Amino acid sequence: MDGSRSTAIRRYVRRFWPTMLVYVLTILAVTWIFKQYHPHGFLMYLLAVLPALPILGIIAIFGLYISEEQDEFVRTVMMQSSLWATGIVLAFATFWGFLEDYTPVGKLPMYWVFVAWCVVFGLVQPLVRRRYR
Amino acid sequence: MKNRLRVLRAERNWSQADLAERLKVSRQSVNAIETGKFDPSLPLAFRLARLFETTIEQLFTDGDAD
Repeated sequence: MDGSRSTAIRRYVRRFWPTMLVYVLTILAVTWIFKQYHPHGFLMYLLAVLPALPILGIIAIFGLYISEEQDEFVRTVMMQSSLWATGIVLAFATFWGFLEDYTPVGKLPMYWVFVAWCVVFGLVQPLVRRRYR
Repeated sequence: MKNRLRVLRAERNWSQADLAERLKVSRQSVNAIETGKFDPSLPLAFRLARLFETTIEQLFTDGDAD
């Protein structure tokens, strides 16, 4: 199974990239609409949250991958990595939240939480795997 | 959990990749189970036992029972 990736991973990749494409297109479209038409009222709120929808899709796609992965060891590594990433990012967000409240540090947009989770998830995976060598 | 996978595999001249292929799991899974760092689920343990024509008890050793 090594050289060829698991069916679950292939399915994940097949779902991931089109969703990312939708995300990029949505961001570009929403930015353009805001610059051109300065929407307001309900439409403004609706357009503002549109780019979040593909990201929710990515989260769901990851969840599907975890549930579809047949290799129990790989699944364990993925789940442990996601728990580490969740813990680390929650801890960082909590620290940063208090720093924002009491010090002049810059405000971080909340959508960076997801990006940070992905980065930490990628970084901790090899470390989690190493525990099983 | 200690096990005799490495010995049984060597008797058959199978590499970790060969065993992984037969079990339809990754080579890392085989390695992690073989080194005793990852305990397989019961269904996978049964598949291993069937593949080596033995029993789970013959394949795995409960550390407490030593």
